[in-house]
Amino acid sequence: MLVKRKTAFFSRFYLFEIILGLWITIRKFFSRKVTIQYPEQRRRYSERFRGQHYIKATNGVENCTACMLCPTVCPSECIHIEAGERPDKEKYPVKFEIDILRCCFCGMCEEACPKDAIKLSTIYEMSSARRPVYDKAFLLEQRGNK
Amino acid sequence: MPTCVIDGREVEFVPGQNLIEVAKKVGVEIPYYCYHPGLSVVAQCRMCSVEIENVPKLQPACATLPKSGMVVKTRSPRAVQNQKAVSEYLLINHPLDCPICDKSGECDLQDYSFEYGDPHTRMTEERRTYVDLDMGPVIVKNMNRCIHCTRCIRFGIEVAGIHEMVATERGNWTEISTIDGRPLETDYAGNYADICPTGSLLLKDFRFKRRVWFLKKTPTTCEACARGCNMEIHQDGNVIYRCVPRENLEVNKYWLCDEGRFNFHYIHDKDRVVAPMARLSGKLEVTNWDRAIEAARETMNAKKPAILVGSDLTQQEAVLLRDEFLPRKFPGAPFFHFGTPEIISSKDDGPADKILKRKSRTANLHGLEKLGYNGFEKLPAGTDAVLIVRGGRAVLPELKLSKIVGIGVFKRKEVESFAAVLPGVTFAEKDGTVVNFQGREQTFRRAVAPPDGCKGLPEVLMTWINHKEGAR
Repeated sequence: MLVKRKTAFFSRFYLFEIILGLWITIRKFFSRKVTIQYPEQRRRYSERFRGQHYIKATNGVENCTACMLCPTVCPSECIHIEAGERPDKEKYPVKFEIDILRCCFCGMCEEACPKDAIKLSTIYEMSSARRPVYDKAFLLEQRGNK
Repeated sequence: MPTCVIDGREVEFVPGQNLIEVAKKVGVEIPYYCYHPGLSVVAQCRMCSVEIENVPKLQPACATLPKSGMVVKTRSPRAVQNQKAVSEYLLINHPLDCPICDKSGECDLQDYSFEYGDPHTRMTEERRTYVDLDMGPVIVKNMNRCIHCTRCIRFGIEVAGIHEMVATERGNWTEISTIDGRPLETDYAGNYADICPTGSLLLKDFRFKRRVWFLKKTPTTCEACARGCNMEIHQDGNVIYRCVPRENLEVNKYWLCDEGRFNFHYIHDKDRVVAPMARLSGKLEVTNWDRAIEAARETMNAKKPAILVGSDLTQQEAVLLRDEFLPRKFPGAPFFHFGTPEIISSKDDGPADKILKRKSRTANLHGLEKLGYNGFEKLPAGTDAVLIVRGGRAVLPELKLSKIVGIGVFKRKEVESFAAVLPGVTFAEKDGTVVNFQGREQTFRRAVAPPDGCKGLPEVLMTWINHKEGAR
C-alpha cells in the first residue's frame, strides 16, 4: 500500500540536508588525509604480513628437504615439489614450484614447514603480464625484509 | 569357546591365538614392533607388555596365550608407563628424520610414539650413527632409524628361506645388515620394506617418489604368475607408484615377490604402444582408430586365420572372444592361449620356488583352460594370418608370418613385424576376474585410467564388428 508521507513545506526544498551533507565534505577537505601517493610513498606493513614466498637458505644451501608438508597442507594445491638426492644432502627439492595465481596467501605452508624453509615475505607487488609460476631459482633469491 | 576379559570386555578366543590377535577382535589395539602375524614370536621389543591379573610382572601380549577367565588390562597405569618408557628408549637413537623418510605416514614407530609415547625427549647426548652399505637393487638401508625388531632377520630365515640379514655387534651397537655387506639375493626382498616397522629398509624403486599419504589404494590381484597374489595398487594422479601385498592367508599370506611388485612398470613404459598403428605404405606408423581397424580387418581377411589369446586376459574378455567375437568374425578358426614358453597347458604349471612363484608367468592360464581354450604349440599348417590378443604380460611366440594383427598391450619392439596394432589396456586399467592355480576366482577393479589412445577389449571388438568400410 502506498503511504503518502506528509512533509513540511520547508523540508521539501532539502536545503538543510544539502548544507548538512556539504558540511562533511568541507570538513574532510581541510582535515588530515588517509590516502597516500602510492608508488612514491609506501606504507610500512606488519612483519607478519603474508606476501611473496621465498625459500630460506643457510650457507647457500636451501633449508628445504622436500618433505612435502607444504603441498599437503596447501588448501589451493599450488605447490609442486619433486624430491631428489645429491651427495651433500639426502633429500632436496629438484623442482619447487609455486603457482602463485592459485595461492591464497593463507600462510599454512610457512606454518607447516619443519625446516623453516618456505616463508612469506612482505613483498606485495606481484603483478605480472604472464601466468607467474615461481620456480626454485626464483624462490631461492632472498628478497623482502624478513 | 573359552573366554577371557580384555579391558573389561569379554572375548571368545580360539586356543592358540595370542593376546594381540584376540584383542584385535574386540577393537583393543595393543602396540607392537617385533611381532608379525606371519613370523615367529620373539617378544623382544616389549612394547606389547600388558598387565594380567594375579601375574606379578607385565607380560608380552605377543608371547602370551590367553587362558579361560584371564583378566587383561592393556591401559592400566603400569602398562601405560611401560609403553611410554619403551617409546622413549626406542627414540633415544632414532634420528627423527620423518620429513625425509619415505616411511612416514605409515610408520609403526611414528604412529605408536604419537599415540603411546611422550611428546618430550630428555635425550641430550649425541645419537648413535652408522655408515650404511649398499644392499642391492631393491632395498636401501638406513641403519640409524632401526629399532632392532629383527623382523627382517626372521623373514629371511622363515619365509624367504635364506639367512642373509644378520645382527652383528651387541646391545646398543647392534647392527642389522647383510653378511659382509653383500647385496640381497632373495627374490622377495621387497617384503623387507613392508615388514620393517620403521624406515630402515625402504624400496629403492619408491624412494622419494611420493609421500604415502597422497597415494590412493586400489585392491587388486597380481598378474605376474598363476598364483594371483592379492595386492594393492598405490596411485596418485593416474600414475602407479608402487604395489604392496594384501593379506590373504590362502593365497599369498602377507608376501609378494619382487617380480609381481615391480611388474607395474610396463604400464607407464615409454615404449608401450598407446596409439593405434597400421602398416600403411609398407611401414608401421601411428594412425587413427578407423584406419587401424580397417587395416586389421584387411589383414585378417585371409583363407586360414588363427587366433592367439594371451593367458593374461580376464575371464570376461576370454568369454567375449569365444562366444561373441570369434563366431561372428572368424567362425571355425582355431584359437589357442599362449603365455609362458614351454607352459602349454595347466598340467605344466607347478611351483617355481618353495614360496609363492608359479611356473606359469601369466595370471589366468587355469581360467582360460576352463573356458575351453587349448594351449598353443605351433600354428596349424597353412595358416596365413594371426590375430594376437593379449594383456601385456604373456610372452609372444615367434611367428614367421607377415600378416599379424595385435590387440592389447605391446611394446614398440614387439610389434615391428605386425600389420596393425590396436592398443588395449593393462590389468590396472580394467575390471575383471582371473582364476588362479587353486581354481580361486579373484576379481579386481580398475586402479588408473588408460592412456588416451587405448581402448578396452570390448570396445575394440565392438568397433571391429560395427566398422563400416570407408567410414572415416
